[in-house]
Order: sequence, then C-alpha cells, then structure tokens
Amino acid sequence: MPPSEGCALCGSTWGNVWAEADGKRRFFCCDLCVVQYQNLVTRIKEATGWTRIGALEITGDRRGRVCRASQPGEVRGFLVAFGTEGTLRVFRELPSSS
Amino acid sequence: MTKCPACLAPIHDVDHLDLAKHLMQRADGSDIPHVRWLNQNISRHKIEPPEVARRVAELFDLHGGSVSGWIRSRFIAQFLGKTPHPFVVALQHPTRAVLLGYTIEHQHFLRQWVRSCAYITAQTDQSEVIRYELDNLNTEFGGMGPGGVAHYELLLRMGESLGYPRDRVLSTPPLPATRSAIDEWNRIARDGHWLDTMAAMHSLELIAHRGLVDEGASLHYFDPSILTSEEISGPAKAFLREGYEADVGHSERGLELVNRYAVSLDRVRDVQATTLRSFDLFDDYLLARLERADRIDAAE
Repeated sequence: MPPSEGCALCGSTWGNVWAEADGKRRFFCCDLCVVQYQNLVTRIKEATGWTRIGALEITGDRRGRVCRASQPGEVRGFLVAFGTEGTLRVFRELPSSS
Repeated sequence: MTKCPACLAPIHDVDHLDLAKHLMQRADGSDIPHVRWLNQNISRHKIEPPEVARRVAELFDLHGGSVSGWIRSRFIAQFLGKTPHPFVVALQHPTRAVLLGYTIEHQHFLRQWVRSCAYITAQTDQSEVIRYELDNLNTEFGGMGPGGVAHYELLLRMGESLGYPRDRVLSTPPLPATRSAIDEWNRIARDGHWLDTMAAMHSLELIAHRGLVDEGASLHYFDPSILTSEEISGPAKAFLREGYEADVGHSERGLELVNRYAVSLDRVRDVQATTLRSFDLFDDYLLARLERADRIDAAE
C-alpha cells in the first residue's frame, strides 16, 4: 500500500516501487521517479553542503517542480525540471523568501 | 474493440471498464507509460475502476463536437496550455543551442515522417489520402519543383548557418528519447491502420498552427517577431517560416481527412487512443531537442 502522501517525487499513489533514497525506504510510482528523486537529492546536497536532508517537500508537475529542502534552522528552495531519463535539466535556487 | 492510449494494446471494451482495469493492472506493475497516462489524464491518486472508467469516458467524449476538434483541444492542453511544453517556451526567442538541438534531433524525426506517410499511402485505398500524403512528402522531403526547397533541406541549412555542417548533423545519432519515439511511430505506421497513423502524425503539425491561440493556446510555437528581427540567422528564419506557413494548411487538411474517415470507418476511439499515445511520444521527443541543446551548451 502506498503511503497517503504517495510517490516521494510526484505524489502519485499509482504504481508500487519501494526504494532506498537518502537513507530511507520510500514509495515511488515508477522507476523513473526513483532516478529523478535520487538525482535531486544528490544535487541538493552538492548545492547545500548538507550530508542529509531533513525534509524535502516537492510541489508542481513534470513541467517544473518547486522543492523546499530543510534542515534544523535552515530552509532552501529550488526550482527543478527533469529530462527524459531522469537527469536534472533545470536546477535553480530560489530566493530565500519564496 | 479499442486500444489502450498508453500502450496501444487492443482492448475488448464496451463501457470503458475493461480499459480502466487494464490501465490499473499495468500501473500496479509500475509500468511507466501507464502510470504516466493515469497521472496526466485521470488522477494522481489511485481511485476505483468504475471511477477511472467514468473519467476515461469523459476524456474521450466528443461532447457533440468533431474528432478533429477533440484532437485540437487535447493538443492545446498538453503542449500550449497554461504550462506550455518547455521546448515551446525556449523557442519563443531561441538560443543557438536550442536551434541546433532542434536541427540535430529533427532530421531523424523528418526521416521517420517520410516513412510514416509512405506507410499511409501504401495501406490506404483512398485517392484523396494518397494525393494529400504525396503533397506532404514533397513539401517535407522532396522539394516542390524547380526552386522549391524541402523542409528537410531548410532544416540542414539552418544547422549550417549555426556552424554545424550537414555531415556532422547527419552523422549524429538521435538521443534515446528521439530514438524510442521514432521506433514507436514506425511501429504504429507499420502495424496499425493507416487512419490511426494519419492521426498520430498529422495531429503533431498543430504545434506550428498559428490559429490555435484563438482557440485557447497560451502562446505560438515561437514569437513571430523573430522572423523579422535579427536575433536568428536567415536560414533559421526560412526554416521556421516554412513550417509557420505550411503547417496551418497541412494540419487542417490532414485532420479534416482524419475526422471524416474516423466516422465513416467507425474508428473514432482508435484514432483518439493513437493520438494520445503519439502526443506522449512527441512530448518526450520535444524534450530531447532541449537535452541536445543542453549538451551543446555544456560542450562549448
């Protein structure tokens, strides 16, 4: 059964893939979302210097997603979009107020 | 009988419930095209089969309109709506890399276009369809008589004007998404009904149909001002202008034929399903043009 929040990347509750990402077993609707999520986590860690991401909230759709990554005392926002094979095509940090 | 709009498998379906169950069964196996189709067209949240069937019925309902009108509205929703396809956004005022990405991937697309149209002429027994496709093949690939330059040649000239000799363009293999889309368009044409192939291919010409803004599209394929300004090369203008001027007539006539034969041959649902599958292939293929542009930017 998928968790109520659905796929860790897109929020869908279709599909049935469980995979470890950022040290935790997570639900995904398909293998493409697994790849996208793993690439996203890697890129956020590179951009922030964090070794773990405390929480990652993702909204939007396949045309573009807004991610809010947080650690205690710090929140960073990013605009992201993926290519056909799950690579990050767009990765842009958003101003801290957005 | 109908077809699954995510995989084109034949489905025995009278009330959309069998199609709904097929979609859900394949999604339970996390099959990407089926999960994607349900996410995009039905709901991101799992619902029961009767509700999926109801939403599928609503999606396919022509609401008293024509098949071609339904195709146009679905096309606008997917590519030119509130969140347009990113390639269309990039083409409004394109960079050199975007135009080169277009050139390199599109030459593969155009060669498949010729194959698909040839399959239609080989499989149909309708003279007006053959004449339409021959005209289309000439415009896209053959060239229209002395001085007439084919769209394919204009594309290669655009690439040359941006610093990519044609042998470099022609020897560059397609990106995986382009390859995969082309292979499936080829299967549709080789194995499917000629009318479904017509719908799959000629619906795509709507991308450059400048009349769609009057029907709800949020933007044109590109900002028309680039045809008169100095921001892109002369050959790039010639290539884009040709599509801008030809694709209105091409897509109108093609979809008019699709509309008429879909009704007379009782293939409305097959045409709709094949069109939706072709839209998803086209969506990925347009993204491949941008991925190629990204590679060019990264290498220079």
